[in-house]
Amino acid sequence: MNKKVVAFILLLFFALFTTNSFANSTHEVANESAQEVKHEYKPKSITELMASFYETTGINAILNPSDDVMTAEPNPADARPMTAFEQSWGRIIMFAIVILLFYLAIAKGFEPLLLLPIAFGGLLANIPLANMGGAHGMLGIIYNMGIANEFFPLLIFMGVGAMTDFSPLLANPKSAILGGAAQFGIFGSLVGAVMLGFDLQTASAISIIGGADGPTSIFIANRLAPEMLGAIAVAAYSYMALVPVIQPPIMKLLTTDEERRIKMPKLRKVHKLENLFLPIVILFLAVLFLPESTPLIGAFAFGNFLKQSGVVERLSDTMQNSLINIVTIFLGLGVGSKLAADKFLVLETLGIMVIGLLAFAAGTAAGVIMAKIMNKFSSEESKVNPLIGAAGVSAVPMAARVVSKVGQEYDRSNVLLMHAMGPNVAGVIGSAVAAGVLLSIFK
Amino acid sequence: METNLIVESVKFMILGMGIVFLFLIIMVYALKFQAKIIGKYFPEKKVSPAKSQTTTANNNTAKIAAIVAAVQHHKNLKG
Repeated sequence: MNKKVVAFILLLFFALFTTNSFANSTHEVANESAQEVKHEYKPKSITELMASFYETTGINAILNPSDDVMTAEPNPADARPMTAFEQSWGRIIMFAIVILLFYLAIAKGFEPLLLLPIAFGGLLANIPLANMGGAHGMLGIIYNMGIANEFFPLLIFMGVGAMTDFSPLLANPKSAILGGAAQFGIFGSLVGAVMLGFDLQTASAISIIGGADGPTSIFIANRLAPEMLGAIAVAAYSYMALVPVIQPPIMKLLTTDEERRIKMPKLRKVHKLENLFLPIVILFLAVLFLPESTPLIGAFAFGNFLKQSGVVERLSDTMQNSLINIVTIFLGLGVGSKLAADKFLVLETLGIMVIGLLAFAAGTAAGVIMAKIMNKFSSEESKVNPLIGAAGVSAVPMAARVVSKVGQEYDRSNVLLMHAMGPNVAGVIGSAVAAGVLLSIFK
Repeated sequence: METNLIVESVKFMILGMGIVFLFLIIMVYALKFQAKIIGKYFPEKKVSPAKSQTTTANNNTAKIAAIVAAVQHHKNLKG
């Protein structure tokens, strides 16, 4: 009997205690929300309302820079206070640059697929107060989702793999050497960038522009110099868009009229199995010699293998179209977030633009010179037209098209397109290998 | 210090170009070797389209012969 009473009292205590604590906590919550509500409903006069609204406008943010504005970073730990210039004139200059990029992409047709999303990302990134490049802003989310971890460039590489036909390279494998020579654009400009005063890591990230490979540039820049990603990507894509302008003068300068008229023998027909095994062969070579480059080469080989297998039309179709389109949108916007005034308007950007151009020109020149050397050593029936060396920079298939066009300027019947595709696709592999070497150095 | 960095970058260049070339040269030989093997063990059947044509032709003549024979037979029965 006694025990029962004790138990009852204990239970009562327990019940009282718990309800009491519940009541307490609910009371606290109510209190907090009441305070918040109170805060929001603080009475204001109409002038006060107007003034506080004006403080939240972009006009005010641009006209009156304040000291406590932080840069928008996808990783909040990197944020630093913005200077007055970055908040005011910086944004205005960036808006002008973005409009220039719009013009180039739309009116001049410079790589609109990538420049438009990048430029629009830049526009969004420079909006004051909205913090779109921050960890919780749209651009910041996209950046963290696929650029900070290098995922999007790999997906693009997959799509490029699914779009690439290696038959011209298989028919004339030695044309791959031209794709290697063009990588001099990367390593030559690396020396140049160091001379200009960049540190080794940054110089490597910049010089990869010479590989004329957008996704690779983004991949490497993100590893070695993330703060310069925006400038590097914009430089890489602008110069790739300028292939038809930059390359022909260099090609013409380095070749004689006679050399430009050289006709190359017809390419042999390639067995289906050769095409099927090629991605596997390349991947295994990468596995053995350069595992550091296997993310890029692996994605590329995967895309190409699915295409060549011929049994998964739907998957390869998705990679070539829907997937690469979606990723291009995200990649562009994410890269655009690096066009914020505080990141783009630095002295280094100018250096990047200059070195990028030199890198591109050096790659073209090295390819042409290598082709001239190969031509000297080749037999009468397997002549090499030095022009195709220029296609050794990746920029598939634009570089090959330019080669073909220049060739036809001198001899209408000389079609070099297929011959130039060999070095062109080898250039993609070559720049991925070069990227792997750079990564392995800084490992 | 600065000359040091430049020497360093030249070393990068030698290593980088060396590896790129080495990789591509090995690839060229691997691809040539692959082409040889595939050419040897899985030769492309160049005559196959012609062959299939002749077989269909044969089939057709056989069919025509059968039809002619059937018609003949039918006529014979009638006659």
